[in-house]
Amino acid sequence: MKRFLIYTGKIFLLTILIAIVLDGIYTAIFMRSKDRGKIETVFNSKAENYDVIILGSSRANNHFIPQMFQDKGLKTFNYGMSAGHLFEASLMLKLMVERKWKIKNVIVEADLNLAIGHRSEPISSKFLPYIHNSDIIRDHFQDEKNFNEMYYLPFYRYIKYDSKIGFREVFFTLIHKKTNALENFGFYPLQKNKNGNMKNNIVNLNPLPHNKSYEEIKDICKANNINLIAVMTPLCENVKGMDYFDKVKKAYPEIHNYENAVTDDKYFSSCGHMSDEGAKIFTARILKDFFNK
Amino acid sequence: MFFNSIAFAIFLPIVFFLYWFVFNKTKSTQNALLIVASYYFYSCWDWRFLFLLVFSTFLDYYTGIQIEKGKSERSRKFWFWLSIMVNLGFLGIFKYYNFFASSFSDLLNSAGIKASPILLNVILPVGISFYTFHGLSYVIDIYYKRIKAEYNFVDYSLFVSYFPLLVAGPIERATHLLPQVKVKREFDFQIAKEGVCQIIWGLVKKVVIADSCAVYANAVFDHYTSLNSLSLILGAVYFAFQIYGDFSGYSDIALGVSKLFGLDLLRNFNYPYFSRDIAEFWRRWHISLSSWFRDYLYIPLGGSKGGLWMKIRNTFIIFVVSGFWHGANWTYIVWGFINAIYFLPLLLSNSNRNNIDEIKLKWDFDSIRVISSILLTFIITCIAWVFFRSKTITDAFLYLKQIITKRDFGFQYLEPDRYNYELLLMIGVFVLIEWNNRHKTEPLSGKRNLLKLALAIGAIMAFGTFSDYKEFIYFQF
Repeated sequence: MKRFLIYTGKIFLLTILIAIVLDGIYTAIFMRSKDRGKIETVFNSKAENYDVIILGSSRANNHFIPQMFQDKGLKTFNYGMSAGHLFEASLMLKLMVERKWKIKNVIVEADLNLAIGHRSEPISSKFLPYIHNSDIIRDHFQDEKNFNEMYYLPFYRYIKYDSKIGFREVFFTLIHKKTNALENFGFYPLQKNKNGNMKNNIVNLNPLPHNKSYEEIKDICKANNINLIAVMTPLCENVKGMDYFDKVKKAYPEIHNYENAVTDDKYFSSCGHMSDEGAKIFTARILKDFFNK
Repeated sequence: MFFNSIAFAIFLPIVFFLYWFVFNKTKSTQNALLIVASYYFYSCWDWRFLFLLVFSTFLDYYTGIQIEKGKSERSRKFWFWLSIMVNLGFLGIFKYYNFFASSFSDLLNSAGIKASPILLNVILPVGISFYTFHGLSYVIDIYYKRIKAEYNFVDYSLFVSYFPLLVAGPIERATHLLPQVKVKREFDFQIAKEGVCQIIWGLVKKVVIADSCAVYANAVFDHYTSLNSLSLILGAVYFAFQIYGDFSGYSDIALGVSKLFGLDLLRNFNYPYFSRDIAEFWRRWHISLSSWFRDYLYIPLGGSKGGLWMKIRNTFIIFVVSGFWHGANWTYIVWGFINAIYFLPLLLSNSNRNNIDEIKLKWDFDSIRVISSILLTFIITCIAWVFFRSKTITDAFLYLKQIITKRDFGFQYLEPDRYNYELLLMIGVFVLIEWNNRHKTEPLSGKRNLLKLALAIGAIMAFGTFSDYKEFIYFQF
């Protein structure tokens, strides 16, 4: 039995050693990643100047066209992330500020995501390779329920979120395989989709009275003299519970309601996402209203 | 509680410690601990079905004794058929009732008679097909006087409910396991070490091979109408490795865990994809089920004795019943039927036991013939797997038809976000490892054991699929 206990002890130590080595290798590769996604690019960036930075979920990613801002002389990038919540938007802004980015305006899409107080696991997992290399990321995740495992157990985060930061992603990062996340200045255009779902029911959705991540974004902007433009973006015609936007306005009066800026379903790819055509109309309106362009 | 879960990683060392350090005084204390651990393990799935398991155990225990004690043939027959009917009755109600009711209703409707089936809203108790077959083999063996009835209820309960084999086999025989639980087990370092290696290799098969293949196989089978020939062929190959890695991985973990407690379980897989014909495949795939059907169905039906038609009839019966055992769906029945068709030429030409020797390759033409036979057997097995995996028989036929009619063999992007060929290298490496170790139970033990273990653990961590978590396929059967 003693021999067996020593044998299993060796296997246990071997497992920990392998976890530490793999953790080191994966982290080192992600530390050099620049052309795969928005998070890696921001994390590994140096000081940059922007007139406009766009943050939010897919409803930011698919709705604001940076090229139209660029054409008007405003250096812009869309850092909206599909499936992202305000938790990730706030962290992105924190990282930009830490890297001494000079940002004049931040446009944040704050509407349906105000009802969500927790992180988006698939998107937030992309910050995790850097958790030991950034106090900002560590502190941002500090209150998350599995923080201790993610922080202290070597390689745990890569196993837990293997579809996002596992071997496949590491391999593609290593061979510098590009994605389309950084094309069009971060904007992802959608086409009109004949089979797109043109119904939505948000009756049960309520904005959190104090969305922590949104409040953080406000505080960061205030502390760094960044002009914050918070907007609600359009939904399709057939939506139940449209009074949600009134509730948002009541809780957060500073958020601009553009829910009606585009109404016709022909400008939508699905109920929550405008097509490229819709995005053009919407972006033009934003440029006119906030930048006089 | 899955074998590849954190809960099991905590459960197993606790039971191991108690077994060898606290309850190791006698075989009775060892057995009592394993029974408690097994019932706890089973109740983690659904505690309500624990009653069914205990009832089934008690029924077979009691009827076994009554059969042995029976003074007249009539009394023996009564207890024998009572056990058979109740066991199959449970299986029928929980697993097959809804299938028969809806199939009968469909039949009436197609004949113009309006009927709507009365369906039962029940879930399938996990492992019912496995522990029912344990009990059946025990009672049948007593009835035919091959074994003596077990009078110690704890020992018998352990034979039926032993947690490593409880939910997905292997299907044990009383002649093999009961004698082992009747004696006190002593710790053997070499056996326990083999057990650890087998557990880790089982995890490689499950987490690295089966679950990775599952992502691609699902991507193909769920969208097969829009995919090209190459994607569909690869989808079938990925599923072949998914189900092999999943089930043989489970069996390896079960056998390995059991070795830690000093109990040897029946081998369930013997590198089936290296078979040279379908008869050999069935001697290497899910061996405990195949041999169960051979001993308790095929031979009682007359086996290969009797006339030609008798042989053919019996062959079709065991393959179709074997398919039906897997699940209440026509796809499984057709899968069994196809395997019977594959088997038929071998049976008719009396060559179904041609390939019982070990596979040896040299640089000669005979080796080319052997490799071709292995490839051909794998191809026809994959065709049958299409029926096993498809939702309906129509889907399976359309899937196969599309392979032929699309005639496009280009690389293709699959949902979610991956190319159809990406796993081929990993499968190739896995096949090579298995081939080089086909004479052993698993490839990790032996020389340079720690290095091989390190590579296996590294593979589990780096290449394993964890976030897209998959249950073991055979739990549903």
